[in-house]
Amino acid sequence: MATQSNEYSSLMDPASERAKRGAFVFFMLFNFILFAAFLMERWMYGGYGHAPAALNTGLGAGMLVIVLLSIVLTVMTRKRLDAGDDTGATGNLALLMLAPILLIVGTVYSWTELPIGSPFGGVFDLNGIWFVLQFALTALAILASFLKGKRAPERAKRERWVVYNVTSYWLMLAVLWVGFFLDYYVA
Amino acid sequence: MATAELQAQGRGDVAEKSSFHIGMVFPMVRATLWGFIGYYAAAWITAAIMGQVLFDPAPVLFGYLGGLTGWVMGSGIWEGWIRRGFGGAEAPVLTGVDRYFRFSPDSKATATRYVVFNIISFFFAGMAAMAIRVELLTPDSTSWWMSEIHYNMTFGIHGLMMLLSVVSSVIVAGAGYYLLPLMLGVRNVVFPKLLGLSWWLVPPAVVATFMSPLVGGFQTGWWGYPPLAQNSGTGIILYGLAAATLLTSSVLGAINIIGTMVYMRARGMSLGRVPIFIWGLCAAAILLTIYAPATYTGVMMDMSDLVLGTHFYTGATGHPVGYMDQFWWLFHPEVYVFVLPAFAVWLEILSAASSRPLFGRNWAIAGLLGVVLVAAFVGVHHYFTAVSPARFPIFMTLTETVSVPTGFVYLSALGTMWGGRLRINAAVLLVLMGMINFLVGGLTGIFNADVPADLQLHNTYWVVGHFHYTMLGTVIFTWLAALYWWFPKVTGRMINEFWGKFHAWWFFIFFNCTFFPFFIMGIEGMNRRVAVYMPYLQPINDFSSISSFLLGAGFLIPLANLFFSWRNGKKAPENPWRAKTLEWHTASPTPYKVFPEGMEPVVVHRFDDYSEGSPDPVAWDKTGAGESR
Ligand code: HEM
Ligand SMILES: [Cu+2]
Repeated sequence: MATQSNEYSSLMDPASERAKRGAFVFFMLFNFILFAAFLMERWMYGGYGHAPAALNTGLGAGMLVIVLLSIVLTVMTRKRLDAGDDTGATGNLALLMLAPILLIVGTVYSWTELPIGSPFGGVFDLNGIWFVLQFALTALAILASFLKGKRAPERAKRERWVVYNVTSYWLMLAVLWVGFFLDYYVA
Repeated sequence: MATAELQAQGRGDVAEKSSFHIGMVFPMVRATLWGFIGYYAAAWITAAIMGQVLFDPAPVLFGYLGGLTGWVMGSGIWEGWIRRGFGGAEAPVLTGVDRYFRFSPDSKATATRYVVFNIISFFFAGMAAMAIRVELLTPDSTSWWMSEIHYNMTFGIHGLMMLLSVVSSVIVAGAGYYLLPLMLGVRNVVFPKLLGLSWWLVPPAVVATFMSPLVGGFQTGWWGYPPLAQNSGTGIILYGLAAATLLTSSVLGAINIIGTMVYMRARGMSLGRVPIFIWGLCAAAILLTIYAPATYTGVMMDMSDLVLGTHFYTGATGHPVGYMDQFWWLFHPEVYVFVLPAFAVWLEILSAASSRPLFGRNWAIAGLLGVVLVAAFVGVHHYFTAVSPARFPIFMTLTETVSVPTGFVYLSALGTMWGGRLRINAAVLLVLMGMINFLVGGLTGIFNADVPADLQLHNTYWVVGHFHYTMLGTVIFTWLAALYWWFPKVTGRMINEFWGKFHAWWFFIFFNCTFFPFFIMGIEGMNRRVAVYMPYLQPINDFSSISSFLLGAGFLIPLANLFFSWRNGKKAPENPWRAKTLEWHTASPTPYKVFPEGMEPVVVHRFDDYSEGSPDPVAWDKTGAGESR
């Protein structure tokens, strides 16, 4: 049969864009709860007091700015997608990829500040490791979407749910990181 | 709408035939090779950098991650998914036998691979069980057979593997991922590639667990409780990573289950018409999605106490009971992940086998979802002996309320059979036996949940009896039933009924001879997880051990039955059980495309109406002819 293909929204991958985007919410839910657990564990294992003075709040505030900027950028990207401007959205992705990379650098640097054996330091660092892992995977996903948009724009057009899901995921991580900031740096 | 001609085409043969040749297994071989290379490369490099040896925690940790990556990359995930994801060449389309041996987005191939690998895991974990029973033939620790240290490793591996690579996936994945799209009337699940990936995560976790003794094993059993976890062998790293990998694999499936059920049902399939088996899968999937995360963090924190030097659960500032809370937060609900799909299989089979509508269908669904509601709030019943009595009454009451929704499911099953003429074949027989076993398992659960009783019974063989009735006695019986029932669907052939029934009785008799004595041993004071016991318990242990050898050897019967029936069993009629659900409306064995291009099923009536002259629940229509979903 001539029409066989392995593409999305093909015969053997029949989910509609609505299904792909809707079902992805369940995937995000899992990861959201995982981070929520970590945010709670800051109180269960990190002690009830304020963050230790050794915590570099300046670094945290800098990372917060990056996160907030990235949220603005993501919202703009999605606006462009909604408007059908796929080329513009792809262009935004290149910039967006900087956010996870900078955040990885910042997080890894922040590990040098508190002893990991201390109650607060332990849960802070472990939560950070998990963020780094997710940042790295999301950076790859953004890169993938960017390259697909450049190298195979026709295909990318047929699979726009991918960019939607990648940016949704980034939004979730960014919001969670704001939660992280409030939970660990401010509270 | 649909013409008679169109109706005949739903079963049209759209199979793409291709025959097996040995080159097709190349991806599996490559994956294995890259897996081992990945392990050793990462472990050696880590050891060299940190000045450690290969048995130290960090090299094992990075070794595992390297091995997992190597294996997955070897599977063909690059050509099949990642390359195209980055805008590279389009993935090859595999419609023939080769899709079974490499990364493939075909849900049927994924499910089939699950069945085969479940059988392999069941075999090896079963051999570990036999080793345990040999050790328990004598009350002392028999040094010719294994040391106490090896005994501890053995039951830990047995438990972890049976739970997370057998019981958790035999029905959900082996049967579930196959039937999910078929029963809903679509050609594939919502994220076929994620589902494909889920299988490829299983083998490395299983291999790592079985190999864990090579790096010192682990002594904690399947719990991984601190602080023993941090003090008894580097193998615990492989335990933790394997558990996390298997959970990830389950969650990838869970997302597909919920997503497919919510967004991809055939036209006309309202939620009220969704088959009960899918509801069972959905209940399990909700549990996994919501409750797995906290346990996931618990496993990571447990490992980080060992590798990174944190003190969540260890040392002066650690809270070991915190691990128990996180661990049981999922792993109590996990028992419903095992058993709710099994319940749902009962209802599916009993309704078709007695040609009667499901009794109290909505109550049964409410039962499945009701269990989901209470599930997470009962975990403390696993460690009443470790917490303050303030928690007793709450967790005791909540646990015992679980019997109420479970009761709905039972009543639905009984009401469906009641007064009907049940056609008893091997699958139905296994379901009935599973129901009897679950009665024992569930009722003994109530004793466990009762604090005064549990303070005596905790950590005795009573508890071991309880969970073998619920898992071996219920889930594995139902697994075999499901394999027999849907065998004609998958292979187009019938299993041998005589040997099926023969083995069902064999299984039932020796299962009960092996495990009923556990309750007596428990009450008589036999501890679980200890290689030695009091000499007066030897006769009953010997009886149990010998029964268990017969029980174990008996599994050769269904293995042979499945194999020979697959090769040259009787050709199956189109719908051997006269079941009405959608999967039987397509050709068997299921063609690659499930149903012909350009057509789609439309659900026009409920599936469990067996009354005289009731309309066919499925009509075929041209794709796009109806209103869009
Ligand atoms: C639904 C099927 C069930 C399965 C698959 C199951 C499985 C298990 C497992 C694996 C354990 C032992 C865990 C361990 O210590 O390693 C266990 C213990 C326990 N089960 Fe169940 N169970 C089921 C039903 C029930 C029911 C219906 C109840 C109560 C109404 C119950 C109450 C308990 C309690 C209280 C314990 C802890 C006993 C102790 O360690 O002292 N279970 N169950
Ligand atoms: Cu439990």
